[in-house]
Amino acid sequence: MAIKLTIIGAGPGGYVAAVRAAQMGAQVTVIEDTEVGGACLNRGCIPTKTIIASAETLERMRRAADFGIEPAGAVGYNLAKIRERKDRVVSMQAQGIRNLFKSWGVNLIEGRGSLLSPDAVRVVRKDGMTMDIKSDNVIIATGSRPATIPGVSFDNEQVISSDDAVQLKSIPKSLLIIGAGIIGCEFAFLYRTFGAEVTMVELLPRALSTEDEEMADLIEREFKKSKIKLITNVRVEKVEKDGDGLMVAVLSDGRQIKTEMVLVSIGRKMNSEDLGLEPLGVATGKHREIIVNEKMETNVPGVYAIGDVTGKMLLAHVASHQGLVAVGNALGGDEKMDYTTVPSGIFTMPEIGSVGLREKQAAEQGIKYRVGRFEYRALGKAHAMGEITGMVKVIADETTDKVLGVHICGAHATDMVHEGALAVRMGVTAKQLGGMIHAHPTLSEVVMEAALDAHKTAIHAPKAGG
Amino acid sequence: MNPDDIKYHREHAWVRVEGKKATIGITDYAQQQLGDIVYVELPEADTEIDADSELSEVESTKATSPVVSPVSGTVVEVNEDLADTPEIINEDPYGNGWFVVLEMTDPSEVNDLMSKAAYEKFLKEEEGK
Repeated sequence: MAIKLTIIGAGPGGYVAAVRAAQMGAQVTVIEDTEVGGACLNRGCIPTKTIIASAETLERMRRAADFGIEPAGAVGYNLAKIRERKDRVVSMQAQGIRNLFKSWGVNLIEGRGSLLSPDAVRVVRKDGMTMDIKSDNVIIATGSRPATIPGVSFDNEQVISSDDAVQLKSIPKSLLIIGAGIIGCEFAFLYRTFGAEVTMVELLPRALSTEDEEMADLIEREFKKSKIKLITNVRVEKVEKDGDGLMVAVLSDGRQIKTEMVLVSIGRKMNSEDLGLEPLGVATGKHREIIVNEKMETNVPGVYAIGDVTGKMLLAHVASHQGLVAVGNALGGDEKMDYTTVPSGIFTMPEIGSVGLREKQAAEQGIKYRVGRFEYRALGKAHAMGEITGMVKVIADETTDKVLGVHICGAHATDMVHEGALAVRMGVTAKQLGGMIHAHPTLSEVVMEAALDAHKTAIHAPKAGG
Repeated sequence: MNPDDIKYHREHAWVRVEGKKATIGITDYAQQQLGDIVYVELPEADTEIDADSELSEVESTKATSPVVSPVSGTVVEVNEDLADTPEIINEDPYGNGWFVVLEMTDPSEVNDLMSKAAYEKFLKEEEGK
């Protein structure tokens, strides 16, 4: 008899797990209380990238003269049409997931699910009916939502989260972004391109503190070029409404910033409430994340958790992979999650793609390493494309020469990083990476040159000290 | 082309001295080598800078290159025009394309720098290498 599997949440963790489980012959039920695709499809990855595509088109139109193109009229934008395009892309992808479910025989129930026991889930359906579903295993994939800071609460109009920012209701004259992490930095460039005056406030000494410092430096310089103001090493104490309809943020150094809109992007909260975890004794951590082992098992046999709610790495592709691992194990396999080669993409202008160790991590781990760097602007393709800003950095073990990390900031960085990911995962050396023929003329040649530069053998670089 | 009322540093920066104040920029040779300049990273006022250390970074269409300070001192003035129109460095490297003014901590450092004639001889030797 087929194994029965219930999955709570149809985001990039849950829906991928559902399809894989169905492929493996399980009888799968997915419970979703909003819309399939989760935060990624509805409030994150896909809508932001759709809007960024509009912003990039606008930015390129503004540079049209550089390319010898003469638009007939003034270059402008229509926010309603950008929103429509975004909604169209999102609903098409959601339909795609529903079609996949139908095709693989996955049963989708719209409602809120919570655990009754390790083998039963209660669903309060959208139509108000309650039903209990029996199964052999349960996977919790309920995701996360935007967090805020003490003294600042969302009103969804002037104090907003990324959930609201992605709705693109209006472009404020001025926008204060609290938190210069990945989400904050992406929205900074986006709203700036549409004309907002953007100020970012960050508690830490730099933007994008999880990235390699040289990539973050490059983005900080792009902030300056775009006239985005970044204030670091400062805390926002409170945000209040001013008499004239503006908001006032009070900073820990006493400064006050007046702004039309505030976007809080300081991190995310796990959706682990109201799931019936406590009565069953499912262990959670101090951030309310569900604690799992490398097989994605919770401490309660038969109950798995994947994705943001596990608080491991809040990335859609990590959630999906955790889903595959959980399903493999739930259906009798023995699979483990490996977080060492997780590429990531940041859609700033320009993009960042990174994988493996940051230079600082390599140093902290006492690894002896060499670094190769190469700038986009040294190669013809970058000039042909009019995308000369950027660099590739390759970190390799000094002894074994194995590539430990690849960091790219520049056009198409998020696509190009996967060559680096394969190198890190397969233990490729910098010499091998640089020795592989890369097609000319492509931006990928920058990766080759950076790998060669780790041994000071890049071709399009002047002799050091010469 | 190269003025003779300024002093030259081997890393292709120049200094114009007035009392304890030193105006600093890059030479015509440097701007030619760099090509079209697209961005200049400048220090903030009150930054202390040592001679021979990095004062600025210049991005051109060809490369990103450090600019080294010929003398030590504290930044008292920054050329704000470079933020929006960095191309003035290409157009007028010894005039409107200046970078910063330093209040020098050791004006005697100027004696170690080259005259116009010495710098041009130095350039010829560099080219001949």
